[in-house]
Amino acid sequence: MADTIVENRADEVPFSYVIAELLTSNLQQKPNKMKTFQNMYGVVGLNLPDIEAAITLIFAGGRVRIDPGIVGKPDLTIISSSEKIISLNAINIKFGLPYYFDEAGMNVLKQLASGELKIKGMFFHPILLTRLTKIMSVM
Amino acid sequence: MAKIKALTQEWLDAYKAAIVADPEYKQIAKDWEGSVSLICNADPGKGIPEPIYMFQDYWHGDVGEFVVCDKAKADSAKFVMTGDYSRWKQVALKELDATKALLQGKLKMKGDLPYVVRNIKTVNKVIDILGAFETQWPDDPE
Repeated sequence: MADTIVENRADEVPFSYVIAELLTSNLQQKPNKMKTFQNMYGVVGLNLPDIEAAITLIFAGGRVRIDPGIVGKPDLTIISSSEKIISLNAINIKFGLPYYFDEAGMNVLKQLASGELKIKGMFFHPILLTRLTKIMSVM
Repeated sequence: MAKIKALTQEWLDAYKAAIVADPEYKQIAKDWEGSVSLICNADPGKGIPEPIYMFQDYWHGDVGEFVVCDKAKADSAKFVMTGDYSRWKQVALKELDATKALLQGKLKMKGDLPYVVRNIKTVNKVIDILGAFETQWPDDPE
């Protein structure tokens, strides 16, 4: 079951429960995301400075552990405000890839261009970013 | 216009009327299905001696039952949002963003979270309307 493959060790960070719940529900509701999840290896940091909350997601081929704070040097580090982070989950997936040419996608591109959203490592780890977007998208 | 006492049936009636009257709501909420409960935790020091349970029914841009209710009815809603009185007041007064409150654990939600994220515009719209009418909060001077 999906809920046994998301291990949340970031009890003290309420934001971690939202991410764990989104991921668990997505994997349960859309089994096609499971295959992507099973191929994911890498470390992703999520940093929300406005609420002083950060977590690290450690993906290991069909399992993910959520640790509090930014641990080590993640492959990807996403830095955003808490109000904007949810918009990342609204990106549509078309032909198996994130689609940036509709309202939701353009919104994310605008945030990237303006610096409201920063994704460190996006050019070195594009596959991890694509897979992350696919499994976290609720669309 | 007289202020309406917060978290009462009269207040819920006003909230429902404000949603119905909003020119954009029906279109924005056309895909939303399901009831939402708001639970305000007890805070005797602020004039909330017991938890207050509020049930609201939303369906494809229409609004149905909006009632102060008991715990069992509140728990039967598709989505249940719980928070302290001061948090609800901050959200209504737009001093606290509801998404931020959720991510900070200041508000808690039970229900299908991906569905809520897919319909975040609807959620933001009804929260926006929450603060659209004059409200008398229990801890405000009369």
